[in-house]
Amino acid sequence: MSNRNPLDYSLNRPLSKGYNPIRYLFKDVVLYLCLLSILIFGLAMLYSSSGQSVAMVIRQSVYVFFGLILMTFISHLKPDSYKNILMHSYWVGLLLLIYVLVFPASGYSTSRWIDFGFFSFQPSEIIRLILPLSLIAYLCRKESAIQFSDWFSATLAAFICAYLVFEQPDLGTAIIVFTSGLIPIYLAGLPYNIVLVYLGSAALAAPFIWANLLDYQKQRVLTYFDNNVDPLGDGWNIAQSKTAIGSGGFFGKGYLEGTQSQLNFLPESHSDFIFSVVGEEFGLLGILILFFIYTLIIWRIFKIGFEAQSNFERLACSSLGFIFLLFILINVSMVIGIIPVVGVPLPLISQGGTSIVVHLLAFGVILSAKKPYL
Amino acid sequence: MRNIQDLKKDEQDVLSLKRRSKVVFAFLFILILASIFKIFQLTVLERVNYSVESEKNRIIEVPIFPSRGLITLEDGTIIAENIVTQDIFIQGSLLESSKDQLDILYRDVLDLERKFPVPQTTKQNQKIWLARDLSSKELAKYEFHKNSLSNVKLGISLRRYLPHKNLFSHVIGHLGPITSDERLSLSKKDYPVDSFIGKVGIEKVYEKLLKGSVGKSIIEVDVYGNKIREIERIDPERPQNITLSLNLKLQKIAREELGGRRGAVVALDPNTGMIKALVSSPDYNPNILNGSEKGILVKNSSKEEAPFFNRAISGSYPPASIIKPFIGLLGLEENIINESTIIEDVGFFQLKEDGRKYRGWKEDGHGRVNLNKAIVESSDVYFYQLASQLTIDRISNFLSKFGFGMMSGIDLYNESKSILPTRNWKLGNIGEAWFVGDTINIGIGQGYITSTPIQLAVSISAIATRGTIFRPKLIISNQDSKKPEIFKKVQIGNEKHWDSIEKSMISVINSWNGTAHNLYEEDGILIAGKTGTAQIKSLVDQELTVREEYEGVRQNIQDRDHALFASYGPVPNPNLVVIVIVENGESGSAVAAPIAKKLIEQNQINLAE
Repeated sequence: MSNRNPLDYSLNRPLSKGYNPIRYLFKDVVLYLCLLSILIFGLAMLYSSSGQSVAMVIRQSVYVFFGLILMTFISHLKPDSYKNILMHSYWVGLLLLIYVLVFPASGYSTSRWIDFGFFSFQPSEIIRLILPLSLIAYLCRKESAIQFSDWFSATLAAFICAYLVFEQPDLGTAIIVFTSGLIPIYLAGLPYNIVLVYLGSAALAAPFIWANLLDYQKQRVLTYFDNNVDPLGDGWNIAQSKTAIGSGGFFGKGYLEGTQSQLNFLPESHSDFIFSVVGEEFGLLGILILFFIYTLIIWRIFKIGFEAQSNFERLACSSLGFIFLLFILINVSMVIGIIPVVGVPLPLISQGGTSIVVHLLAFGVILSAKKPYL
Repeated sequence: MRNIQDLKKDEQDVLSLKRRSKVVFAFLFILILASIFKIFQLTVLERVNYSVESEKNRIIEVPIFPSRGLITLEDGTIIAENIVTQDIFIQGSLLESSKDQLDILYRDVLDLERKFPVPQTTKQNQKIWLARDLSSKELAKYEFHKNSLSNVKLGISLRRYLPHKNLFSHVIGHLGPITSDERLSLSKKDYPVDSFIGKVGIEKVYEKLLKGSVGKSIIEVDVYGNKIREIERIDPERPQNITLSLNLKLQKIAREELGGRRGAVVALDPNTGMIKALVSSPDYNPNILNGSEKGILVKNSSKEEAPFFNRAISGSYPPASIIKPFIGLLGLEENIINESTIIEDVGFFQLKEDGRKYRGWKEDGHGRVNLNKAIVESSDVYFYQLASQLTIDRISNFLSKFGFGMMSGIDLYNESKSILPTRNWKLGNIGEAWFVGDTINIGIGQGYITSTPIQLAVSISAIATRGTIFRPKLIISNQDSKKPEIFKKVQIGNEKHWDSIEKSMISVINSWNGTAHNLYEEDGILIAGKTGTAQIKSLVDQELTVREEYEGVRQNIQDRDHALFASYGPVPNPNLVVIVIVENGESGSAVAAPIAKKLIEQNQINLAE
């Protein structure tokens, strides 16, 4: 007996195109190819931006490899089977955030890192994607409509995470974590009267938040408005980054030929500012091609999402799609100097194992929403 | 199993999700548009600016300075060269992070008296020099601590060095750190902030020749200023070496004979204007200012010593009796006197019966005096009378033909203009009308008239060459074919008058009653000369006896008269004019004249070789 509903929208579609092991394994070949090309491109950019460090590329490749295996594995799970785990992973994330505040790794000025010796990571990078998934799992835990109190518990959960990140202190990431929590809540159907209440209380709280910001956080915000405030700090980074992209022109200076990045004028060129290297070495053309592939990926995410069967799957895909887009936009806008500097890597390209693995995990969840047609 | 209600709910959910997605996307779309516009602006609209900015980041021009041109004498003797010194520097960008290394450097490596220099610029790529000219001991200590001094680097630089130290100080001069004023008029590329530039003397006058043109190396650097590779190199244009007309032996004799006393010697070839010796004493060691030698520059010298003051070209002295041959020549030319005109010298001269007494240097006078005797014995009274008859207009007009009152134009800086007074000059500068008494003083080279040693040399050379004065010059350049430049040409009515004056000047030495008869040797070189004793403490206005004036007031050395001697030789065909001035030396004949004689003799030996 077919488990297909007789009133399924895809009524006129053939049930099966014949068994295809590749389509079976990768589920969405277009998305998979796009991801692979972006990841390989990312490794190439990492080689260029890290001062041609083979060691760094190998390290990153290992993460990419395990990330892809994890993604493929999750993509073949039924969402219902891991929904509960996702919901409770919130507590793991919360614990990590508390742990990092209580036992900060030495050698960093802020308590953002957990150091395991052979590898270290920032819990905030994990919580950015874990939080929306667990919130959706929470909101969709029951078949029935979402209850009024659930909206507040979900918002509170997001707020707690954001506050812990803010205490690290990392204002930018706190805002991003909070946003990545609010997007699924809103998409899940947050009633508009509650939206109004939230907006009202945010307006009231704003002056208190500003007063509680640390000096350097204020400085960053101010730097955004005037690049000349601190020409050798953040302003200098942004100026060098803009110079890199601007000097790349339309065709770029060529792979490994970017003088800004190869001669170290570009700070953090392998992590947060890798987009500038893309701009410098491949020019506007390279940027447009990169954007095109990103657009393809986001298109596939929403396509999978809107065609998915359960509310959880739909919400998970669209939330992750928006968050993915949001991260790209924040990183790019930061690098070209239209928003203040915040620590968001360019998804799937910037150096950083945690970021890669967590993103691929999210893509696993997205792919799992697609039903295999056998 | 799903039912229709579920499906309806699903349908609603999807619609709601799509609606809400549009809202979220609308927010993000603003950021998308802004980003795309900004990227377009950066890469297309403002691309050129950013390309320039990026090139400025990575490409720096490092000037290549040619080593400064050598200065030699005609015989090849090097009198200014460049030596290598070892210096220690640090890149400006590393200064902040190298505090520990600097501590080690100043505690364990450098001598105690070294102090941390204040960096003038905060430019990242600039080198900051921490210590110049390391001693061998410091170098050894540096090598020992090298491992802990990774940011502190050893560099070499070229320093100007004068092997003869003080001997040529007032000719060659010295270099010094460039001032901001000097930089204004020069190309910033040729002269960076910490560069040295000629400050006086030949070093300054021929700065352009000696400097050459700066080459450049265009190199690519990383953000720390480390050199990645050389992109282009333009070699510097080698500067010219300069040959000077000076003679080492004459210069040495002149300096030794002055022996540190305040004074000056100028010796030049009257037939070409070429300077053979130019010494001003006391002098200094230019190497210390050039940074190529350590030592104390000036040992507690008094203000009057002024070792940096070039007396030979800048010292203004009364020409004193040296003016007498010129006044005598004018008298002959104007037919006011002839060779046998006799004046009774009773020791003083009065314009009117009861007028002021202008005293001669000899209390009892010289008796009956003609022009020859007046020059030989240096009778003041004879020239008082002659001057009063000549009037100031004729005197200054005539003297200006010999270069009095003007600069000789020697190729050195800071030459003083001597003063040749006229009626207008006095009106303009003193604010008084000209008195006959002023003219009388001019007659013996006192009063308002002043001369510099170089100007006197030029004027005397006119007598030696019978009227042709060549522009005095130190440099023998390869380019303008050694053809001497004529400075002035003195035309006189009767050429025999030259001989008559010269004969008297020879007698100054050869005649038993000559003021410089102490130079006389039976078979010696025939020298024409004239002594001079310049009064600096004028006591004319006070009613003192000659004895009081000459013997009573000399306790204070500063008040003593200057000893002057002007000469040329050998006669005939003189090849050297020598002016010697010894400040407060009192006697031109005893103090100044022997120096001149030695120089003329040595010059003869030089030419015979």
